[in-house]
Amino acid sequence: MSKLLNGHIISASNLSKRVTSTEGTLDILSGVTLEIKTGESVAIVGVSGSGKSTLLGLLAGLDAPTAGEVVLAGERLNDLDEDGRARVRAGKVGFVFQSFQLLPGLTALENVMLPIELAGLPDPEAGARDLLARVGLGERLTHYPRQLSGGEQQRVAIARAFATHPAILFADEPTGNLDTVTGTRIIDLLFDLNQERQTTLVLVTHDEQLASRCARRVHLDAGRVVEVNP
Amino acid sequence: MIRRARLGLRLLARDWRAGELHILIAALVIAVGAVTAVGFFNERVSRGMAQQSADMLGADLLVLGSQPADPAWVGEAVARGLRHAEGIEFASVAVRGEALQLASVRAVTDRYPVRGAVRTAERLYGEDAPTPGVPARGTVWVEPRLMHALALAIGDRIEIGEAQFVVARVVTYEPGRSGNFFALAPRVLMNRDDVDATRVIQPGSRVTYGNAFAGPEPVIAAYRAWIAPRLAAHFQLIDARDGNRTIARALERVERYIGLTSLLAVVLAGVAIAMAARRYSARHYDMSALLRSFGASQRDIVWLYAPQLLVLGLVGGLLGCALGWAGQWAIYGLMHDFFPVRLPAPGARAAIVGLITGFVTLAGFALPPVLRLKRVPPLRVLRRELVPLPASAWLVYGAAATAILALLWYYTGSARLTASVLLGGLAGAVALGAVALFLLYASRRLRGHVGVAWRFGFNNLWRRAQASVGQILAFGFALMAMALIALVRTDLLSSWQQQLPADTPNHFAFNILSDDVARIERFFADRSIRSQALYPMVRGRLTAIDGVAVTQAVTKEEGRNDEALRRELNLTWAAELPSDNKIVSGAWFTRQTPAGMVSVEEKLAKKLGIGEGARLTFSMGGATLEARVASIRSVQWDSFHPNFYMIFSPGTLDDYAATYLTSFHLTPAQKPQLTELVRSFPAVTVLELDLVLKQVRTILAQVTLAVEFVLVFVLAAGLAVLYAALQASLDERYYEGALMRALGASRRQLRSAQVAEFAALGLLAGLLAAGATEAIAYLVYARLFELEYHFKWLVWLIVPLAGMLLIGFAGYVGTRRVVSRSPLSVLREL
Repeated sequence: MSKLLNGHIISASNLSKRVTSTEGTLDILSGVTLEIKTGESVAIVGVSGSGKSTLLGLLAGLDAPTAGEVVLAGERLNDLDEDGRARVRAGKVGFVFQSFQLLPGLTALENVMLPIELAGLPDPEAGARDLLARVGLGERLTHYPRQLSGGEQQRVAIARAFATHPAILFADEPTGNLDTVTGTRIIDLLFDLNQERQTTLVLVTHDEQLASRCARRVHLDAGRVVEVNP
Repeated sequence: MIRRARLGLRLLARDWRAGELHILIAALVIAVGAVTAVGFFNERVSRGMAQQSADMLGADLLVLGSQPADPAWVGEAVARGLRHAEGIEFASVAVRGEALQLASVRAVTDRYPVRGAVRTAERLYGEDAPTPGVPARGTVWVEPRLMHALALAIGDRIEIGEAQFVVARVVTYEPGRSGNFFALAPRVLMNRDDVDATRVIQPGSRVTYGNAFAGPEPVIAAYRAWIAPRLAAHFQLIDARDGNRTIARALERVERYIGLTSLLAVVLAGVAIAMAARRYSARHYDMSALLRSFGASQRDIVWLYAPQLLVLGLVGGLLGCALGWAGQWAIYGLMHDFFPVRLPAPGARAAIVGLITGFVTLAGFALPPVLRLKRVPPLRVLRRELVPLPASAWLVYGAAATAILALLWYYTGSARLTASVLLGGLAGAVALGAVALFLLYASRRLRGHVGVAWRFGFNNLWRRAQASVGQILAFGFALMAMALIALVRTDLLSSWQQQLPADTPNHFAFNILSDDVARIERFFADRSIRSQALYPMVRGRLTAIDGVAVTQAVTKEEGRNDEALRRELNLTWAAELPSDNKIVSGAWFTRQTPAGMVSVEEKLAKKLGIGEGARLTFSMGGATLEARVASIRSVQWDSFHPNFYMIFSPGTLDDYAATYLTSFHLTPAQKPQLTELVRSFPAVTVLELDLVLKQVRTILAQVTLAVEFVLVFVLAAGLAVLYAALQASLDERYYEGALMRALGASRRQLRSAQVAEFAALGLLAGLLAAGATEAIAYLVYARLFELEYHFKWLVWLIVPLAGMLLIGFAGYVGTRRVVSRSPLSVLREL
């Protein structure tokens, strides 16, 4: 984080993503420019197919843009290959997904330990236990994902996302698969942890209530930024 | 990297607990188990069989010569720790009073025979038993024929040369006798130290000096390599395999069969491993994508999974070795009665080969799909439909081909065979893939004519055309391997049975005078004794080919040293082609064929460079005979029928005095009639082969069991493929099944659709397998087993039917859970 541009942890300029299929080419994103400050919480909103998830993928370096550039945590992602981008993500980026993405063969504890082990941080089990206790699952450590409810699974996923103390947390429709009550609890948890750990939060949602909890909202429509609030 | 590897191993342990690895490890265990059991088996049983052959020869290695062996050769053998015995063989007349009989004397030293045992009885036709030791000085052991010829009883005295001997025992079986049925004179066995006293051996006498050696296999092999270049042309090196053609051929074929079988088992298991690894890989896409999103590099992913494969290879390999070891003991338990002595425990070699084979198979078949994991795009965490770019076809097929190449090379030991099998296999796979696709397409046309379940089944196959072609190929290959191995087994066994049917002649009668021919034929007919035709026999030596002396005419080294040139041949004439002979070129004699034509045995003709139309000159007791080659003939030497290198056209040998010979079969109940035969025809020499035949049959029985045993492993590997292929599509089936049930399909509907799909898959695979079996069997029979191949129409019926039933049933059992699990639990997991 030494080379942050004007305190921006993420900076995207003129991002475009075009895909080619048998039915011709399709512009999923065009000319998106966006800057996010350290510690800021930003919601990317829009209807289905507006390009929200694509933008999230590009910002997180999971995919490369067709045009434009992304600087993440001071590193120009365009200059890097996939492995280089992975290095930037390592330890600095956490994810929460709509479909939780827990590994079915691993227990809750093992799922949370995984990124800690991968980053080579000390005592992965203690860290994972603490976090699971923090999200209220201290009693369910040895349960497998299929033995947990949707809300519980997402709490495990949130614990996992914070496990390596990332600087940035990307969340893709984190409440999309949950009922309203559970969704609200998950949002509370996400924002509480975000607050506690001073993480930059970028989340994709079409849930206005969730979006309203973020400091800033970026509206996408047909791959273009149409509005930024405030 | 160490950290990554350790994490990888922890993940492996978690995968193991979660049951993700069971199929992969099961396939690996079967592969290694099959190879190791076959290896252990090969090592032990073929050693056992070789030992029995050695027992029949009386030695592991025999050096025969017309001169005494160099004492340094024996010294070297003894220094190497080999057991040694010496024998001198010569013809001499045994005399008792006024009676004379030419005998074949063998004088032996203390340790004779170094392998096997001489069987003797205390009186004529008494109970015989293996007898250790050799005749004491001043005594001889003699064959029953000599007892008859000289009207001997135990304790009587006979003269040989200038010495007198007491007849101490009756020899009923003697190692080393089986290979030389035409050693006409009855045997007298004496002590080596008595030879000088007989004064029979004089300069110029025809004497064979034999030195027999026995010891551990590697020492024998090393000694063989040491002595071979030191032997002059008049020495001959014989090992157990040369001793008996029937056994040698059976051994050779069983080794090839074992080689082919273990190879097929490995390749089959390789297919199973590849399928299991593909599924393992596919089930780890999410994990890889997630790890990549957490910041893991491609190298990290490799370091995560490569050690997993290593550990899997080790665990699967060790379990496989244990299975192979257990399987081998089980079969040993079944067969140990067949072995003459307790076999040594198998060595570590098979286990090491098994382990290496496991790793090579894993590297060739599992590494490419697992390496594919490093290419999983991290974006998959957001878009689950993304799958990694397929690994380069070069990598996938290259790795598998390299693995198969390495294994083929190891198992066949032949670069040419390896290359042809590999190229043929690749071309075959492409062609079969195309045929599978065509069959699939053709099956679509059937949809309108079958019930709803079948329609659904065929539809499913077509919908997943690519996966279906893969499965048809895998199942087809498994069925083909099983069918091929079963087919070869059946034909090998029946060829052995045909070779030695129950009424195989077990006695030879020689020296039948022409005046006795009609009487002896009546003798056989009156007693319902089955006998072969009587062949006249004249002794003669081949001296020239097309007017050039054979020593100059024959350029090939092996030809010049051939027995046929060095001793007198048994010549015969016949109007009818013997039943077990076949004309290879030219034509058999007709009524119009003039005298002076000859038919020559194929292998001898080849060695001596004799072709159709060649002019052969024979020397027969001072007279010279010329004949032109009318045909070349193949001869089944191991049929126990009288057989000849040279058969002349009728009339050619009329001017020469002939005796007749035949072979006949005596049942145990008819055995006493042998005495009657010998008494009625005192001049006739009878050779008893029933003990030899019994031993040959014992060995063939072992070989049969062995062949059946290895078949089990190919079946197991085939089932592993079946299992892995079923598992490969299980996830998708769970999901589709859950969806269909959620949409209202009944369990029964789902189940019948699934059974129909698998049965259709089995049917198509079976059709493919039947075609492939015909084609490959045709090659394998001719090239590997020297068996005649006939179109097997039954294959076309049985294999598709068996495929349909087997795969349909396996599909039913394997996918039972698809309809038994609650749709909700399935959908929630996915």
